[in-house]
Formats: sequence, structure tokens, C-alpha cells
Amino acid sequence: MMRRKITGLAALTAAGALGLAACGGSSSGGGGTGSTSTSSYNAAVSGVVNPSSHKGGTMTMDLNVTPDSTDYQNTYYAYMWDFVRLYSESLLTYKSCPGKCGLQLAPALATGLGTASDGGRIWTYHIRNNVKFQDGHTVTSADVKYGVERTFAKTLLPDGPIYYQVLLQDPHYPGPYTDRAKNIMGLTSVTTPNPTTIVFHLNQPFADFNYVVAISQSTPVEPSWDTGAHGGANFQLDPESTGPYEFQSYTLNKQLTLVDNPYWTQAGDPQASQLLSKIIVNMNVNQSTVDQNQLANYAQLDLHGLGVQAAAKDKILTSSSLKADSDNPVNGFLRFAYINTKVISNLHCREAIEYAANKTTLQDAYGGPVVGGQIASTVMPPTVIGYKSFDLYNSVSMPNGDDSAAKAQLKLCGKPNGFSVNMAYRTDTPGDQQAATALQAALKTVGINLSLDGFPTAKYYSNFAGSPAYVHSHDIGVAIGGWGADWPDGYGFLYDLADGSAIVPAGNSNIAEINLPAVNSLFNQAAGDTNPATEVTYWPKIDQDIMADAAILPIVYQKVLLYRNPNLTNVYFDDYYGMYNYAVLGLK
Amino acid sequence: MITFIIRRLFATVLLLIIVSMITFAIFFLLPRLAGQTPYNLAAQYVGKVPIPSQIHAMEARLGLNEPLQVQYGRFLKGIVAGETYSTGSSKVYCPAPCLGYSWKNQQPVWPLLTSNIPVTLSLAAGAAVIWLFSGVAIGVLSALKRGSIIDRLSMGTALLGVSLPIFFTGAIALFLFSFHWHIFNVQYVGITTNPLLWAKNLVLPWITLAFLYSALYARLTRAGMLETMNEDYIRTARAKGLPERTVIFKHGLRAALTPILTIFGLDLGLLLGGAVLTEFTFSLHGLGLFTIEAIGNSDLPEIMGVVLLASFFIVIANMVVDILYAAIDPRVRL
Repeated sequence: MMRRKITGLAALTAAGALGLAACGGSSSGGGGTGSTSTSSYNAAVSGVVNPSSHKGGTMTMDLNVTPDSTDYQNTYYAYMWDFVRLYSESLLTYKSCPGKCGLQLAPALATGLGTASDGGRIWTYHIRNNVKFQDGHTVTSADVKYGVERTFAKTLLPDGPIYYQVLLQDPHYPGPYTDRAKNIMGLTSVTTPNPTTIVFHLNQPFADFNYVVAISQSTPVEPSWDTGAHGGANFQLDPESTGPYEFQSYTLNKQLTLVDNPYWTQAGDPQASQLLSKIIVNMNVNQSTVDQNQLANYAQLDLHGLGVQAAAKDKILTSSSLKADSDNPVNGFLRFAYINTKVISNLHCREAIEYAANKTTLQDAYGGPVVGGQIASTVMPPTVIGYKSFDLYNSVSMPNGDDSAAKAQLKLCGKPNGFSVNMAYRTDTPGDQQAATALQAALKTVGINLSLDGFPTAKYYSNFAGSPAYVHSHDIGVAIGGWGADWPDGYGFLYDLADGSAIVPAGNSNIAEINLPAVNSLFNQAAGDTNPATEVTYWPKIDQDIMADAAILPIVYQKVLLYRNPNLTNVYFDDYYGMYNYAVLGLK
Repeated sequence: MITFIIRRLFATVLLLIIVSMITFAIFFLLPRLAGQTPYNLAAQYVGKVPIPSQIHAMEARLGLNEPLQVQYGRFLKGIVAGETYSTGSSKVYCPAPCLGYSWKNQQPVWPLLTSNIPVTLSLAAGAAVIWLFSGVAIGVLSALKRGSIIDRLSMGTALLGVSLPIFFTGAIALFLFSFHWHIFNVQYVGITTNPLLWAKNLVLPWITLAFLYSALYARLTRAGMLETMNEDYIRTARAKGLPERTVIFKHGLRAALTPILTIFGLDLGLLLGGAVLTEFTFSLHGLGLFTIEAIGNSDLPEIMGVVLLASFFIVIANMVVDILYAAIDPRVRL
């Protein structure tokens, strides 16, 4: 699950190429470019299982929740970004191939990655000729611009990222629905000099802009489609397709049916494929049934991609045949605890928490080494570009906690007998409550008393842990969290967690309130570094500085146990989305 | 009788207004008393990445800074005449009956609610038929064969039905009949689309839900029948030489059924507000699952809507029972 935002990108001073910009696109489609392999445990982590170009069949996907929106300009979950590629085509996307290869940017609707000018303030993209909408109309750059304009209509479409509002020169543009006749195509910072060229004018240099347009929000939309029964908030019920499939029917939050888009071509969308005749998505199915449906072949895919529950896990791992049809990768998500630097202002007190935490019981809280994750010692997980392994607080070498080091830190902190503080956690996120209890028990052994305060996820960031005023007034020194990157480099993972300018009054993700001049400066320097080889060296430095400040207590690099239905073809784990790549799946 | 019905109708409307006031207070007054500001309240309606200007706009749009009685008045007006939420030139219209607007789904609450009613209605009605007939039949049989093996077996099973939670019996039923033996695939199909498939796909949820209720009804019927069958008029009926079947069904069961029907009305009303556990266990998109989803998303307008609708069903069921009871027993009308 992705959840991050960008608020006030302070003084990003660089331009130019991205660390991954040199990675070209694949023209293979379908099974991608990774190695192929037969079915075995973890086979889809590094290779393609059941590669096939066989066409036809109905695939059923089950989803245990309801999506924030099926509107590609209004969604902010990893599984939905993976899923919407079935009916949308953004300017850029990620290469369709297994393993680290899938972290590379690739052209989708655009003919290539963006060209930067004016020190990184202007980004130009050229789009492919003869890409069609589902109604047969040709996609133009004006349609891409209109799609971007929709992301400004936050009253109707509040759920997507806000990168365009922050980065473009006219952040107060109200969106195309307000005073429509006057403002349609009124976003002045995006220009379309001809039907195949689109130019973004940023208010500051931003080297990672290619990653921004790889988010589904850059999908083209015809203004004429976005009206009446199809328009505005109702667009989610029948979003206009440029991808391999289109909506046949959708009962909101219940069932969605996709069928082939007759105007889609492989040449126009090289990273996706159109191997299925129909896709049915059943929403709000309880997770136990989702798991059982997959095993019984009533459904072929768990759309959420967060892995099976304990009952199915035991069944899979104890059966050699089922185990051979499963994968257990690290999915790029970090489970951790924020340690608020204002509430616990003394570094040594925070370091005492880092040392005293029992990583083994915390790992167990999330389900153990298979479905919980691998014990973490850094903020960035191994799947992020720029990851470097280090272990400042002996998390891996002493996973049960280092009480003597913790007590030593408490003495330095001036509180040799410990201290008391409150801890926030999400009551409805699996594992968080158990993790809170495990941390409470571990810290108690050195005299640090945590009082637990549980909140629902829906209000956790908007009203409680994500509200610095609330955190200060309620003495919340520790807060459990989870994090995934919007794009797979250090900036994409770390900025919102650790940059001082990312601290906001509500919806704050920098709950630890990290505002270190050195870290802020490193973010700026990294963004200004046009050399991909040196840009990547900043991320481990920032990671180390955050850990040295003891503001984040990493718990686990999340792992998931995914059941890979044997009837699926072209299956592989996509390191970017942290689940299977849905855009290329077929059926035997 | 007509005066009685009119009196009950007025009382029902009054009760619904009181329920709406309490519900409104829970969602808008209590958070304020707990220290939440209008800004905090508005923040939960503006998506995952709230921008301060957007939160202020939502604050204005919902009128959260206005006195509570004004907000409540607008809420009531919305139910009757619809509501337009606006900030400057940006407008969202919620047609009557407007029970609120789900900012999470960007849809008025009323059509979202009503789209779930067919599933809940199908589930509740089917299960009700099963539990009423099976519960009463088992109860009568047990009472007539008091102390026999049939009685003990029936009451033992009834005890099991009352004791086992639906999420347990439902999961077992699903595992055996759906995933293991592949007999039933529980997926709601509209009755007008395919009546046979509608019934087949609902058999498991019906039986699971009815298992709980029929156990209760069996015990109630048994107790009622035991009491009734010992009455003097039953003895008189038998002394008159009436056939045993007439004695049991016409004189015994009829008298024992009166309290059963009262409870049946209330139970059905409760279930129409959403059979939460059954719908969740079988992933049926009725009002119960809708409620769980709304709570999970902290979608307050949806939660408020479902509370009001559930209250409506219960209050109406209560009224119908009162009227039926009055028809059966004239003393009630006094």
C-alpha cells in the first residue's frame, strides 16, 4: 500500500537525467524480458512462470477491500496503480520484467523518457502516433494535458497524489470542472505545441519528474468523455480506456468486468498485453474467502497482493505441490515505528528505544519471517535503488534487543530508570496492535513505559498521529507506521519521511518530525545531481543520518506469501509494485 | 383501530426523529466534546493527501462552523428536499432523500444504501422462512414428545445453534460445501436475473443464519407449547372429542405463536438493517457488509445513513407488530 505525499518541495535545484533514465523500454510486451522458469517455490521472484502467448479465458480477481477509486487520476494504492494499467496508459511506466529489471522506467504512451531543459524546470514528452481511445479517437497531447488538469480537481477527485499541484507553475488552478467553459485547458504550465508534444513547466528543477509521469495520473482523457454520466466523480464508473481492456460494467465497490479494448495495439502500449477475453473483479470479499477461492480456482488472483492469511499459509507451506505454486518475496514495504524527535527530544533516550526493541518479537507480531518480513536495520528496504546495508543498533546481530546498551543510553539521557511516553498505532492494520504490544513489553524491561493509544487507519494520519499538534499535546513519542515508495529510488522512499519541509499540520507523514539541516541539504544536493552514478550515493547517507538520529525504528522489510494460481501465465513478481505484474497476465 | 394506527404512525415518526437526533449528535457533537475542531472533522473528508486549503473548503462546504442545530436542520431539510454542497462555484448535489454524501465514494448515500437492500432482503427473507418453519416445527415436536430422545436431540441441537457464532458455522459450511465438495458457490445473483441460481447461491447463507434463529425459535415454541398444552381449554377441547391434530394446531399452536410472531417481526426488522456477520462471512454485498466497509473507511455519512435506515426498519417492524398484535388482542388498543 502506498501512502505518501509531497508538500512544499523546498529548493530542489537540479535537473536532468535520472538514475534510471538510461534504461530503455522493452518492446516485448507479454512476458517481458526476464528469464523464464518452471513452477517452483519463489520461481516468480526472479523469472517468468508459465510464459505463454495463449489468448483467451476469463480471469477472476478477488479483492478483500474496496479501492479508493478506479479512476486512474484519483487512486493512491500500489495494487490500483498496478491494476489500472489494464485500462490506461500513462506517459511512462515501468519495464515489464521480473526482479530489479522491473524498477526501470520505460516509455508507454510517450516515445521515450522526458527531455529536460532550463536546468530541469521544463520537461518535454512526445507521444506515439495512432494510439487510440476505446471509442476509436486518436490520443493527442491535449488529452494528456486534460488528464493532468483533472488531478487538480481535488474536490471531486481527492485521493490521488498531488505532485502536479506542488511542482507545476500554477498550483492554484482549480481543475477543469470549476467554471468549466472558462477554465477548460486552462492549466498554463502544461503546453501542447502540437498534437504529439506535451511540455511541463515546473516551478523548480525536479530531477525525478520522469517518475512523476510514470504514475497513472498522466493517462490521457478526452474532455468529451468526462461529461454527463461519465463525468467528474462518475468517471470512476466507466473510465475512458487507452489500455488493453475497457470497462464492460461496474457496480461501485462490488463487481467490475473488463473486456478487450478493440482499439488497443501492442505497438502503442509495449509494456502491457491483451491475452484475456474478460476480467472479473469481485470486491470486498473477506480475505479468508479470497485465499480459498484461489486455492479452489474460483478466482485466479488476489488483487490486493498482500499475500495469504495464516490458515492458507500453513496449508501452502505444508504441501509440496502448493508450495511450488507460491512466492515469498520482500515487497518493498517497511514496517517501522516513528520516534518523535520533539516529544522525545534527547537523542540518547531515542537510542535507548532503538537498542531495547526486541526485533524478534516485533517480527513475530507481523507474522514471522515468512509472512511478516525480514528484520530491518535501515529505513530503505533492499528493493529501493540506493539501498546499502548497515546495522547501527545491532538489530540483526542482536535481534532480541541489547538491554545493556539501552541502559547505558538511558544514563546518558539523564533518565537511568527510564521514562514514560505514549505510543500510537492503527487498530485495524494487521500486526500493528501486536507490534505495539511487543514493543511495549520489550521497552518495559529497561524502564521505558509505553501507554498504547489505538486509532482507526482512516483517521490515523489526518487527525491523530499525522497531526503534530495532536502528537505534542498527547505526548505521543512513538507511533507505529508502514511505508512504501511512490517511485523506487531514495528520493521516492525517504523524502516524505525525513525532509523538514514535509512536516505539515494534518496528514503528516514525517511523524518523527525529522528536520535535520544535514539531511535537508542532502536531499537538495541529490536532487541537483545530474549524474545518475553519483546521485544514487546520497540515499545511503540520508538513511544513515536518519538512523543516527534514532528517529525511525525499522522493524521488518515486509515479506508476503503469494499464491500463484497454476492456471496463470506470464507470472512474475514485480519489484516496483511489490506484487505480480497484472498488465501481462494470461491464462492457460 | 384506525385511531390506534394513526397514533402509532405519529409515534413512529417521532421515534425516527429522535433516532436521527441521537445519531447526528454521535457523529457531530461527541467529536467536538472530545476536542475535535471543525478543521479536524473536515480533514477526514478530503482524501489521503489533505491540502490545508482543501480542508478549509470542505469545512465551509459542510458548514461545520455553524451551530449544531443549524447543521441538524440542514440535514433534515436534505432528507426532504435534497441538499447542495457548495464552495464558491463548485457544487455537489445530493437529491432527496439526501441522507448525506459519501465524500469517499463521491456519491450520495441514499442510492449506495438502496443498492444493497436486495441482497439483505433476499438473505433475511429466505433465512426467516427457514427458521420460522423449522424452528416452530422442531419446537412443537419437542413439546409433544417431551423428555423423549427426539426432544433431547432437538434441544441439544438448538443449544448448539444458539452457542455457535455465525462466523464459525459459516466458515465451516463454506469450507465443506463450497471449497471442498464444490456444491455451492456463494455469489449473489439477482432474483430477476436467474431465480434458481439466486436460491442455489443463497442456500448456504440462509441455512447458516437460520441455524442460529431456528434454534432460538425452537426453544421458544417448545416453552410456549408446553405451557399452552397444559391449559384448561386444551383439556376441554380434548374432552369434547376434537381430533388431536385440531387440538394441537388450532388451539395449542395458535395461542403459543402469538409471542413468537412478535419476536419474529422484531428479528426480521433487525436483520433488514444488515446481517453483518453472515454477509461478511459469505462476502454478500448487503447492508451489513456495507456497514463494515463504511466503518473501515470512517465514512461518517455512510455510517449515519445505515444507522438511520436500520432504525427505520426496526421501528417499522415494531409498528407492524404492534398493529398485528392489536388486531389479535383488542386489549392492546385500550
